[in-house]
Amino acid sequence: MNSSLVQCPKCQAWLLEGVFNQPELSPCPACGVPLQIEVFPALFRNQSVGRSGEAILIEGESSCFYHPQKKAVIPCQGCGRFLCALCDCELNGQHFCPSCLEAGKNRGKIKNLENQRTLYDNIALSLAVYPLLIFYFTLVTAPAALFVAIRYWNAPRSMVHRTKTRSVAAIILASLQIAGWGLLFFAIAGHRF
Amino acid sequence: MPEKEYQRLTRARSRSAFAVVSMTRSSLWLGKDHLLCVDSSGYSETYKRFYFRDIQAVTVQQTDRHLWWSAILGLLTFAFFIITIATTPKTSPAQWTGDEVAGGIILGGITALFVLLLLVNLFKGRACKCFLRTAVQIEELPSLNRLRRARKTLARLRPLVVAAQGELAPEEISSRMRSTAGTPPQTSTATAPDAAAAPPTTTLPPSAPPVMS
Repeated sequence: MNSSLVQCPKCQAWLLEGVFNQPELSPCPACGVPLQIEVFPALFRNQSVGRSGEAILIEGESSCFYHPQKKAVIPCQGCGRFLCALCDCELNGQHFCPSCLEAGKNRGKIKNLENQRTLYDNIALSLAVYPLLIFYFTLVTAPAALFVAIRYWNAPRSMVHRTKTRSVAAIILASLQIAGWGLLFFAIAGHRF
Repeated sequence: MPEKEYQRLTRARSRSAFAVVSMTRSSLWLGKDHLLCVDSSGYSETYKRFYFRDIQAVTVQQTDRHLWWSAILGLLTFAFFIITIATTPKTSPAQWTGDEVAGGIILGGITALFVLLLLVNLFKGRACKCFLRTAVQIEELPSLNRLRRARKTLARLRPLVVAAQGELAPEEISSRMRSTAGTPPQTSTATAPDAAAAPPTTTLPPSAPPVMS
């Protein structure tokens, strides 16, 4: 993946010309499959070499919190610890130490690092809807749906759908099912006594 | 009303060709400085971000999938049409029994469903596979499985990537490719038909290791 060459996705032949940035599909010179390949300057950009911290030459110079023998170049914007060039992790113009980055990712504080979310609103809605096919299950699933919807009311939802419609629908449906069961038990109890 | 952080580029499509088997559905969203690929299983979502500054290439490969689907759906439509005709009573509709009417409705409904699916497949146009390349990965974008949609998305994406990276002159691409591959640059760039007829020396064999400049 470090080459600036592009391969045909079908025959894996290296493509050199003729198929790049064309307005229409062009056949692969090797296998003839129609291709449209759009290349951008990043393809030819040299990969920058990772930086390593500079060693401390003058006694008393600020040193990296993690590498005391390395010169500090920047403070972490999360915890304020001094960092060497190796420990400096830049993210959207901000500088963090590796542990702050990890903590931010785990707590979901740095949104750009989040790569997974659980959709509690979908879980609640599924618990409220699917068991309706076999109604007896709703005796258990309706309270569960209500619990999930309320417990995770403020939990982050999908990054791309941001309404609370599903949670609201789950609460209404689950409440109706619980009310239905309550009425049923009430009627049975009233009939018996 | 606050501005939406992501704009939908494509609707969710299954990662597998067999949508019933695969639960994971993939969609594309446009962010401020990146493309977001969302893989959703229904109960959780995983996100992949492709920053405009990192996108190296987008490859669209036309496939025959739409033809296969058309053939399968056409055959099914034809088969159910024949069955519907064969099982239709020869008497006038007024004399049909309840079972015959129900059978006709069910078979006619199934035929109509297949006709509808066939029309949708034809309307969607040619099928394709789309790959996005960065310095560290080549990612297939399953939601771009039709050529028309892929082109539309690419047309929307191109100016954003160009704004982040700058533009690449067409003649520059070939010369840079050739210098990377270790072959002398040519003055003229082969057009598509010329490239098709070009000897295999224009490409290196698949087994050849990439040549670094």
